[in-house]
Amino acid sequence: MAICAAREIRDREIAFIGTGLPMLGGMLAKYTHAPNCIMIFESGVVDARPKRTPLSIGDACLVPGSVMLCGLTEVFGLIMQPGYVDVGYIGGAQIDRFGNLNTTVIGDYHSPKVRLPGSGGANDIGSLAKRTIIMMKQDRLKFVEKLDYVTTPGYIDGPGGRERAGLPRGGPSCVISDMGVYRFDGATKVMYLDSVHPGLSVDEIRRNVSWDLEVAPTVRKTKPPTKRELQVLRTKCDPEGIFLGA
Amino acid sequence: MAEPEVSSKLMPLAEAVKKFIPDGCRLRSGGIAVRKPFAVIYEIMRQRKRDLTFLMSGWTEDADWLIGAGCVDKLEGSYLGLEALGLAYCYRRAVEKGIPRKVLIEEYSNFGMTMRFMAAGMGLPFMPVKSQLGSDLLAVESFRHPKAQVVEDPFGSGEKVALLPACPADVALLHAQRCDEDGNTQVWGQIGDDLWGTYAGKKILLTVEEIVPTRVIRRDPNRTIVPGFRVDAIVPIPFGGHPYQVQGYYDTDRAFRKDYAARSTTLEGWQGWAEEWVYGVEGHEAYLNKLGEERLAHLRAKPVMSGKVNYGY
Repeated sequence: MAICAAREIRDREIAFIGTGLPMLGGMLAKYTHAPNCIMIFESGVVDARPKRTPLSIGDACLVPGSVMLCGLTEVFGLIMQPGYVDVGYIGGAQIDRFGNLNTTVIGDYHSPKVRLPGSGGANDIGSLAKRTIIMMKQDRLKFVEKLDYVTTPGYIDGPGGRERAGLPRGGPSCVISDMGVYRFDGATKVMYLDSVHPGLSVDEIRRNVSWDLEVAPTVRKTKPPTKRELQVLRTKCDPEGIFLGA
Repeated sequence: MAEPEVSSKLMPLAEAVKKFIPDGCRLRSGGIAVRKPFAVIYEIMRQRKRDLTFLMSGWTEDADWLIGAGCVDKLEGSYLGLEALGLAYCYRRAVEKGIPRKVLIEEYSNFGMTMRFMAAGMGLPFMPVKSQLGSDLLAVESFRHPKAQVVEDPFGSGEKVALLPACPADVALLHAQRCDEDGNTQVWGQIGDDLWGTYAGKKILLTVEEIVPTRVIRRDPNRTIVPGFRVDAIVPIPFGGHPYQVQGYYDTDRAFRKDYAARSTTLEGWQGWAEEWVYGVEGHEAYLNKLGEERLAHLRAKPVMSGKVNYGY
């Protein structure tokens, strides 16, 4: 997933990075095909060059060697809201066909089955970045017909949904799960399967989505990790195995 | 020039918490994973404060502990979890099962919360944002009615914005690297929501790693984020941000955080942890003794010094 995430960043882009796999994706991109991409963290770091794997978005190791330190208000208010962020990464506990995300509750809001952390910066990233990349694990309980709570808008109710709500731009460009990569139809704004991770079939993936999944006529196998990608990931991005496991 | 008066703001931790954090107050904490005022959080628990409304952009262990201890009944904020270490279980038990008591949360996004603090800090009733539109953050209310309003630009562009109400605090906590005896406060590293969150406080309770002579502050005034006249109480408290990090002073105690994350998943585990690290510990000094010099030495930051600038003219 981290490798797929890295491949979505183009060189010289401004990327807004969260904790965990997105961090590895950003670092991997920077060490491979996108050396000039700029990583921004919501705690207030611009163009971080961490020398170890950060445990959180506020990790002090993001500070030495960065180009600017400010605060949450400034990175969201001066960089994200006016439209200078090309790509933002977010995760979710539930997603629907329009790429709307829930990270707030499972079950009824006022007496939930599981209380999750909530938006944090996710809603801001999903609302204001030029495009967002969603990373999450997949099963039928996560890829759902209807969300229990809309924490972060995707395309809301389809074409024109974001515009009607008053959002200035953006929307998800892809969803990277542990089973495949999904993109969104330009006209209907509905998610479709674009590539299948090695070792899985389209049928298996369909069984892990609770709506009738659309599949690209050109659906292909996800390009397997290259030796270089794996090597950089393990030796430079997460040598301690904090996110990748030992 | 007359001699400046000696500061009366300096006080011990227990006295500051007793004096400035009454039951039922609106309390702002901060730090977004850096410079969190944990020593104050521990002391609030030891003094068994009640009915606090806790305000913040991104809570982690700080809010989870206060909720587990039954100190909080309302929250206004955006995130409560242990980041890469998982969910916050005291929070889950409180919301899902009312253990030890039910808490209510009014939710906004991170940017939304910091703009609410900015409004309070600037003396304005609200601030507009372009996020949160089209989401349940605007549609679902808990205890603030209304929690937000969507309006069209009154100047005719047709653009929609969400207006969010100011979020004033009775007292704002800030943990900083250093200040002088008047409370002129300097921080460096990430600022998180500390700038606006601190100014949202009618009163400011400051904890610092060290007190320095005022000439140290005046030699580098660009690093100051709060002038002393806004600060009401100063508590010098080395390692006051443990188990989190303070840039230039110490690193995160990852083992401590992992231990908490594992033990707090059950009620019994949480109670055992709180007894061991909060209620069974007399104060901050006893806490540091319990951690031990070897552990603290291991956490101390290695020097990465900044360059110097010329303030001359």
